[in-house]
Amino acid sequence: MGKFTYDINRYDPRHMVALPLALFIVSVIFLGFNTVTTGLPVEAGIDFSGGIAVTVFTDDSAADLEQYFKDYPLKSVGESINNGYYLVFDNIPDENRFQEMTKHVYAKYPDAGIDLIGETFGKTLQTQAFWAVLMAFILMAVVVFVAFRNFIASLTIVAAGVFDISITATIMDVIGFTLSLGTTAALLMLIGYSVDSNILLTTRLFKRQGKIDEKFANAFHTGFIMTTTTLVAVAVMFVVTFVGQIVIIRDISAVLLIGLVIDLMTTWMFNAGILKMYFAKKENPRQGGKQGGKNGRR
Amino acid sequence: MADDESTAKKIFTDVRVIVMLALVIFSILSIYVLPPAFDKGVEGNIQLGLDLQGGSWVQLSFQSEVVRFSSPTMSADALAQKIWDKAGIEAVAVSDDKIEIRKLLTQEEVENLFNEIGDVKLVAYTQGVSKETADDVKRILEDKVNNLGTQDAKINTISGSNNVATYIRIELAGTDISTAQDLVSSQGKFEIRIVTEGNETAHVLYGDSVTSVSRPSQSPPGSGSWGVAFTLSEDGAKALRDACIQYGATKEPEKHYLNMYLDGEQVYDAPLSSDLATKLLTGTVNDLRASTGMGDDGLEKAQVLEIHLRAGALPVDVTTAGLGSVSAQMGDYFKFVCIIAALLALGAVGVTVYLRYHEPSIVLPMLLTNIAELIILLGFSRYVQQLDLASIAGLIAVIGTGIDQLIVVTDEVLHEGKVPSPNVYLKRFKRALVIITVAAATVIFAMVPLILMDLSTLKGFAIITILGVLVGVIVTRPAYGKIIMAILSKKPAKEISSDSKDE
Repeated sequence: MGKFTYDINRYDPRHMVALPLALFIVSVIFLGFNTVTTGLPVEAGIDFSGGIAVTVFTDDSAADLEQYFKDYPLKSVGESINNGYYLVFDNIPDENRFQEMTKHVYAKYPDAGIDLIGETFGKTLQTQAFWAVLMAFILMAVVVFVAFRNFIASLTIVAAGVFDISITATIMDVIGFTLSLGTTAALLMLIGYSVDSNILLTTRLFKRQGKIDEKFANAFHTGFIMTTTTLVAVAVMFVVTFVGQIVIIRDISAVLLIGLVIDLMTTWMFNAGILKMYFAKKENPRQGGKQGGKNGRR
Repeated sequence: MADDESTAKKIFTDVRVIVMLALVIFSILSIYVLPPAFDKGVEGNIQLGLDLQGGSWVQLSFQSEVVRFSSPTMSADALAQKIWDKAGIEAVAVSDDKIEIRKLLTQEEVENLFNEIGDVKLVAYTQGVSKETADDVKRILEDKVNNLGTQDAKINTISGSNNVATYIRIELAGTDISTAQDLVSSQGKFEIRIVTEGNETAHVLYGDSVTSVSRPSQSPPGSGSWGVAFTLSEDGAKALRDACIQYGATKEPEKHYLNMYLDGEQVYDAPLSSDLATKLLTGTVNDLRASTGMGDDGLEKAQVLEIHLRAGALPVDVTTAGLGSVSAQMGDYFKFVCIIAALLALGAVGVTVYLRYHEPSIVLPMLLTNIAELIILLGFSRYVQQLDLASIAGLIAVIGTGIDQLIVVTDEVLHEGKVPSPNVYLKRFKRALVIITVAAATVIFAMVPLILMDLSTLKGFAIITILGVLVGVIVTRPAYGKIIMAILSKKPAKEISSDSKDE
């Protein structure tokens, strides 16, 4: 990856920090606005809001399907290039009516997959997921603080996790992915990935000897290849499961794909920027953060 | 040649490497040989989730609540009786200060009810049923599943805090959703007949005359003599009295057994007790008790009888909280797609890593270690967790972090593109392990809440992720460190160059 031209030492740390910070602020406003208006930071899929999903593989067209299910509260028809369809319905509270519907589905599509999540159950899952994410964050922060015992180092790592998740959630919502059990898992997984690259950066900077610029460059080099390798794996997973219509893995990989790109940005622009200012200040207290940015490379 | 041999020797005599290889072998054996599973296809002994093997699940929520109360005068039993008298709602005592109300009421409604009764205060309210009732429901459903002839069924109650079960989840492999739904709602035909003469019997009453059935109990309490108490409706009690008098059971109980049938099959028979026979002469009796004998055997029989008396009906109303089904064909297809995805992902990772290091002697061990990690994880998962789509996502996530961390180890060791002396190597390797361990600890802690919350399919995902991280940190990554060191130390320094210097 030697041809990659982002030279971590060439930029003013304040510029590096600006973009991720701006995106983060925008995402917080966006998520906050959603929460106030709809009660949830992002739109919930059937796992959390309740509903019925039917997966079928058929040569029929989307219009055929709409016609066939016209008596039922069909909400959306998702299509894949493999003749697979993912139909989402509103909940049918009457259990007899729902049993009728399952018979209707099997009558024409005997191999269909059917999922139903009741509204109350969805609410339960929602609450649990909320606490799970919150607890995950707190526990992660505790581990990081205990491991590094340095406020700035720990703070940047935890911040990167927060940035990653909120920016990714925002993008996810904007391009129309709903929050499901799968995407929640993916967001939690992002904590893992973001911690990986950030701990690498921080450890290299704090625990290795040598010139700070060199340490930055080396850390970036390793971190970049790390994340791109994962990105490649996730991208493959996304393509295969998108074609194959495995909704849960498709959604997980889509969210990871977005999240990993965001993580590159938060780690190597935001965190690197903050740490650069921190080290510049430490090395040359009087000139503060300005010094770090003007350092030439090596 | 001699050089290669010593490298191989260095690698294969290291404890960490040996442990890794042993675990790989153990895992492969676990999947295919222990017990032999050559006819089971690629998955061998690995338990697949419903979404990969086809089947359906139904999650039911109990329309009931467990309530803690405080009352200066009333016992739990007394309160349950009061609730029945006041509102006609069945309630049972769970412990000294807890009752289970078998109708879904809001907290406010319960408070109102308590106000009406007076002298009792609501302390805590949880929707769900007590553990005993949940086990009861579980037994009834298991009994029905057995009648269905499905071998592969799992029924789990999902409990929240304080031992109150809110949900019960039924997973049936190879069954479609209609069958699963019928299973839950279906009821058998229960009948009581009386022996008239020899083998002849006459109809007494059907299951609709049985108004309630209690849990197995000992009578007198603590005697070890088990039985099931049940009550009859007025009509049922009258029918029973008439039949007993008509056929002479009140006079000669021994000759006129009462037989119980479920769907035409005899499930219980016993004569009237002399006590009951006398009572029936003077009037109808609603509260009956069928005794089943002493000790554990008696208890077991009582549990079965209870189910039969209910004719498959559940003691508590339930509603469908969620359900899902995947056909066997679709499960096979998903399995195929997952395998393709995993292979392609591994291949893509290989290419990327090769582009970075241009050095097969680094890339190959890296990939092989990654594959070893995957195999060990699959082998372990056979014992702890069924593989569904969510846990496969976990697997893939682990592979992703796995390769990440192998890169950290490699770069840490290869710092400056030079092969370090063993001393420096160990120091750097240790530092790499610190990075890895901290990262692993955070991931584990991030996943623990998902397990504790029992968040549906995400539990499997979290378990696999944690397991994978542990296998990686404890076994495969240290082993990889050893391997890479042995390989690097035989190479002349300039051959190993990392791209960082090409910029």
